[in-house]
Amino acid sequence: MLLTRTVTLALSLAAAWGGFLLFLQFGAADGMDAMDIVRSALIFASTFWLAWGAVQALAGLTTRPPAVPRDTGSLRGVTAILVPVYNEDPVATFARIAAMDASLKAAGQAAQFHFAILSDTRDEAIAARERHWFLRLLEETGGEGRIFYRRRLSNKGRKAGNIEDFIKRSGAAYEFSVILDADSLIEGETLVEMVRRMQAAPGLGLLQTLPVIIRAQSRFGRAMQFAGTFYSPIFARGLAMMQGHTGPFWGHNAIVRTRAFAESCGMPELAGKPPFGGHILSHDYVEAALLARAGWQVRVDDDIAGSYEEAPGNIVDHAKRDRRWCQGNLQHSRLLAAPGLKPWSRFVFLQGILAYIAPVFWLGFILASIAAPLFAPPPDYFPVEFWPFPVLPVSQASKALGLAVGVFGLLFVPKLLILLDAALRGRVAGFGGGLRALASVLAELVFSSLIAPIFLMYQTRSVSQVLRGADGGWPAQTRGDGSLSLSDAWAASHWIVTTGALTIAATQWLSPVLVPWLLPVTLPMLAAPLIIAWSSRASRPGVFLTPTEWQPAPVMALQDLILSRWQGMETPVQDRDMPGPAVTHA
Amino acid sequence: MTDRSDRHSHDLDALVARLGALPEAPLAMPLQVIERATPGFFASLLRLGAQAPKAGH
Repeated sequence: MLLTRTVTLALSLAAAWGGFLLFLQFGAADGMDAMDIVRSALIFASTFWLAWGAVQALAGLTTRPPAVPRDTGSLRGVTAILVPVYNEDPVATFARIAAMDASLKAAGQAAQFHFAILSDTRDEAIAARERHWFLRLLEETGGEGRIFYRRRLSNKGRKAGNIEDFIKRSGAAYEFSVILDADSLIEGETLVEMVRRMQAAPGLGLLQTLPVIIRAQSRFGRAMQFAGTFYSPIFARGLAMMQGHTGPFWGHNAIVRTRAFAESCGMPELAGKPPFGGHILSHDYVEAALLARAGWQVRVDDDIAGSYEEAPGNIVDHAKRDRRWCQGNLQHSRLLAAPGLKPWSRFVFLQGILAYIAPVFWLGFILASIAAPLFAPPPDYFPVEFWPFPVLPVSQASKALGLAVGVFGLLFVPKLLILLDAALRGRVAGFGGGLRALASVLAELVFSSLIAPIFLMYQTRSVSQVLRGADGGWPAQTRGDGSLSLSDAWAASHWIVTTGALTIAATQWLSPVLVPWLLPVTLPMLAAPLIIAWSSRASRPGVFLTPTEWQPAPVMALQDLILSRWQGMETPVQDRDMPGPAVTHA
Repeated sequence: MTDRSDRHSHDLDALVARLGALPEAPLAMPLQVIERATPGFFASLLRLGAQAPKAGH
């Protein structure tokens, strides 16, 4: 682990230093000025971040997960499965619970698990539906005494406070607690395996699974789903190799040792007001750091299959979620010096902050490059006194080109290597075979390049809002269809179009030679509404095929079966004559 | 009719409260110390821009 950390850090710093030197030579060709140093420094920071992602993939490709202790015996006690909900559709959420319960029954372990629906719903109409559908859920599953529902009067502390409230009231009844999101779905066998791995490792405080994105319908959603399914296992393995026993925890689809969590993770509010004070928004990273500080292991096991989640279906919803994460991660700047944390936990906080600051570095580099001619010294064609002939500066364009190739290499090569690895190991079969996986990877590279400038702008705005003291709040995510009209997309992105147009105009005026170099950034900005609307529409199968699309997991099939029976049953349960046949034996 | 509907709703809420009641098994969750008394350099740097705006126009 120490070797992996040292090598990955050294490689990232070397790449960043190389970028710095290349750009410095390029910029200094017509004489060094302050702007050259600023731009080179920005290149250093941006390249480091890109290289950090790339070496993480390399670490994932070149290492195998270490053997973990296994326990094949019977499960001890009862494990709580916590389902925090906040204004979500109860039909969809409770159908997932019914499906997981049915899957546990199929595994013969339903008695070893309790579900606790922890409602923080603020909308009274949705809360009323939750109560109706809770009764329906009990009826469907025969879950009385195993499935619980409570709604808090105040949602103090948001999700972290919701979990804390459960632990304070009922935590002593459960050795382990599985923490889910409202859109989480986990196979019964997977839940059993998670408990067994906790039983086998008494020092393990938290075990994180790698949730696979499912049920995406839109072009954007399916591209993200493909990227998450195809690339993420490799990146996660690299991350696991680097983090060792200090994380990560992503807030859901994980199991905790309840006592360890209670002893270590009581979360105070930070002094001051939001966005940097108040409730800790990205509590999961902090909880992982606190568990590690208390001496508990926090581990991600990327080999555990059967763990699923859903994701936003369009760029705008993704950006809204990203806005919350941005605020949460920047808030971690308050915790970098928290007493007693492991050094790597502090580094994880720093990484989270960099994830949102790095795009600002890129934007700063672009703006500095456009403005550079204003600061450049006048050309000196007679640098040698009394020499009668002009000395023309040697073009350093090849260095700029080399840097551009290097940047694209850091972005694309890891993904192509993952494709090669998947082909060699036969993993491409789940993605429609080698050719289709290749087509999907190429399409994803093009698509991610198109949307990158749009994300660059949204992230920059998020950072700016947080630094200005604007609290983004914690709205519920929009899930479901999620398609956007062109006017919706325009409303969400007209400022990006304006910024793109102004950028082109300023570049043409100040530094016309840069215009073609900036087109990959400015053209997607000009087309942002079209890209956002187009990518939110339903996608035809073809590229981006993932294993769960052509072969849905058993728990997904159970969920579909239950949902199809529940949809259209909005009538309160006590008003129906007969309950539907239980799906628990499906 | 309204009374009946209200009572019906009340009964339903009571049923949910009874069937949904979590086990009573309290577990202490002490608050952790996660901030130093004085903010670090990086935190101060990021917070510079997040100060509350001055009152007035």
